[in-house]
Amino acid sequence: MTGLPSGSDSSLAPLRDSMHAAARATAAEILDSAHTQAQALVDAAQLKAATILAAATADGEAAAQSESRMRSARVRRQAHEAVLTTRNALRLQLQGQVRESALALRTDERYPTLLDRLTERSRMLLGPDTTVTESPDGGVIAEAGSRRVDFSLPTLAAGTLDRMAPEVDGLWSR
Amino acid sequence: MTDPTTAPSGTERPDEGPNPGVAQISHGDVRELRGPLLVMGDVDDVGWDEFATVDFAGRERHGLVLEVDHDLVTLQVLEGTDAMAPGGVRVRFAGRPLRIPVGSGWLGRVCNGRGEPLDGGPPVTGDTTLPVSGWPLNPVYREPPQEPVLTGISVIDALTTLVRGQKLPIFSVPGLPHLTLATQIAAQATSGGTTFRVVFAAMGLTHADIAFVRDRLEERSAAGELVLLINAADDPVIERILTPRIALTIAENLAYTEGHDVLVIMSDMTSYAEAVREVSAARREIPARRGYPGYLYSDLASLYERCGRVRGQQGSVTIVPVLTMPAGDITHPVPDLTGYITEGQIVLSPEVAARGIYPPVDALSSLSRLMRSGAGAGRTREDHLDVAAQVLAALAHARQSAELAELVGAAALSETDRSYIAYRGLLEQGLLNQGHDDRRSLEDTLDRAWSALAALPRRELTMLSTEFLDRYLPSEPEAT
Repeated sequence: MTGLPSGSDSSLAPLRDSMHAAARATAAEILDSAHTQAQALVDAAQLKAATILAAATADGEAAAQSESRMRSARVRRQAHEAVLTTRNALRLQLQGQVRESALALRTDERYPTLLDRLTERSRMLLGPDTTVTESPDGGVIAEAGSRRVDFSLPTLAAGTLDRMAPEVDGLWSR
Repeated sequence: MTDPTTAPSGTERPDEGPNPGVAQISHGDVRELRGPLLVMGDVDDVGWDEFATVDFAGRERHGLVLEVDHDLVTLQVLEGTDAMAPGGVRVRFAGRPLRIPVGSGWLGRVCNGRGEPLDGGPPVTGDTTLPVSGWPLNPVYREPPQEPVLTGISVIDALTTLVRGQKLPIFSVPGLPHLTLATQIAAQATSGGTTFRVVFAAMGLTHADIAFVRDRLEERSAAGELVLLINAADDPVIERILTPRIALTIAENLAYTEGHDVLVIMSDMTSYAEAVREVSAARREIPARRGYPGYLYSDLASLYERCGRVRGQQGSVTIVPVLTMPAGDITHPVPDLTGYITEGQIVLSPEVAARGIYPPVDALSSLSRLMRSGAGAGRTREDHLDVAAQVLAALAHARQSAELAELVGAAALSETDRSYIAYRGLLEQGLLNQGHDDRRSLEDTLDRAWSALAALPRRELTMLSTEFLDRYLPSEPEAT
């Protein structure tokens, strides 16, 4: 192996310098490009983070508002239900009083006449062969074969109250 | 024949009382208990569809007459026949079909599928009662649906506008937020300038879903604008046959007597159809497609056709039934037959839901056939119909462009195709995607549509007049 001829070093110096310069320029370009790309990535990441943060904040606010509305709705519902429950309690109280009043008819002097009329009505509905017995609650129970008519006083009272439902409802809703 | 001039609405008749005495006789000759059916013997003077009360062991259940054969009567027991034994059952026939009290007493109440209170209050009462099966409406007195019902939900208001008196179903598949959407519609819907009421009939819902619906609709309920009928998933199945009929009877009275615009939401109609199938199977009827009875079409029509507007009356009944399609099969009998009767459909899609869009409406598969009667100049906004047509046409083009991009890569697409893909993103995020509590005005909705359209080159907007483009098209597409 022989080395380069003497004097070639100085001859190659410009080439070497030029190659160095080109390499440095390329490295600088790559570095610049890398910086730019890195900055772009950081910017994009920051933008994305800001978007995610904004979306999360909006979601959180919406969820909080929704939860607050839900809670408020539940409280309102409980209040409304309390009013309705009270109304129903009054209705049931009235129902109990009407039943008591109906049962008290057993001691009324007109009770025998009432029994006669209920018996007559039972026979009209079920026919002449109907077996009619007095109900322990007052009134009569009539049977003919598989058919039965319940004219006991509590049943008649409940039926009457049902038919008067709109009028009864008016006691507390008007 | 009824004189049509004396009964224009066809919905109101004098309160016909039962045959006196009939309701007082109870019958005890039980011949058979079969599924939800109860067969009674030694009965006469009972008619088809007559209502009955079944007493046993100190409890009360309710039934409807399905068949009468000489002295044999077959009843369907709404609460089922569980725990009943032939010996201790007595049945009282009412002498007439089931009637319910009607009127504003229903507003603000929460009841079960048979109309009995669930809110702790007394039973609902009213001065008038009406049969739940409804009166056939004289077709001559029907008015075509008109004017929009605005839901505050952009994709519906902009692209499949609901019209007063229309029946527009929501087709969904299990797992999608159809109940959330139906509840949002119920909570937000209004019609311009008139009083608006909502009747929500929930069928086969879980208790978690019921709690959600009650919470979301509380505001409307507290305002006295809502009637909520709830048949839970663990409630008797047969009750569901009655639930939509009660809802519609209440709605008809609120609309045609009290003059409100009424929206009836029925969710889920597939659960209802399953109840019809169960009764049909118990009656040993010949099954048709997938075991549903052959009369499912006419049965569904007897519900859906109770919507509309009536000449000379102020109010309207608009119906939004929700159907879940088992396995997403749109040819399943329930959505298939519903599609024959209703005027369009709103289709929810799992693919749209997977992209994180709520409500996951597949805009290209959805359609409101009566939209022209409810949208446009004098009804919503002059540009509404043209914008909706352009949005859908561009969306169809965008779908093709996206498919092309999957084949050749987005970089190989033309500038125009890329703009369509950008348009789709803007449309989905700006217009179609919406919060569960978000109520958008129609102006806002249409402006959002215009913002998305601005992503397209102006030359592509061929369905919009120059006048509209100059007036509404934003100069720069807005980033969303």
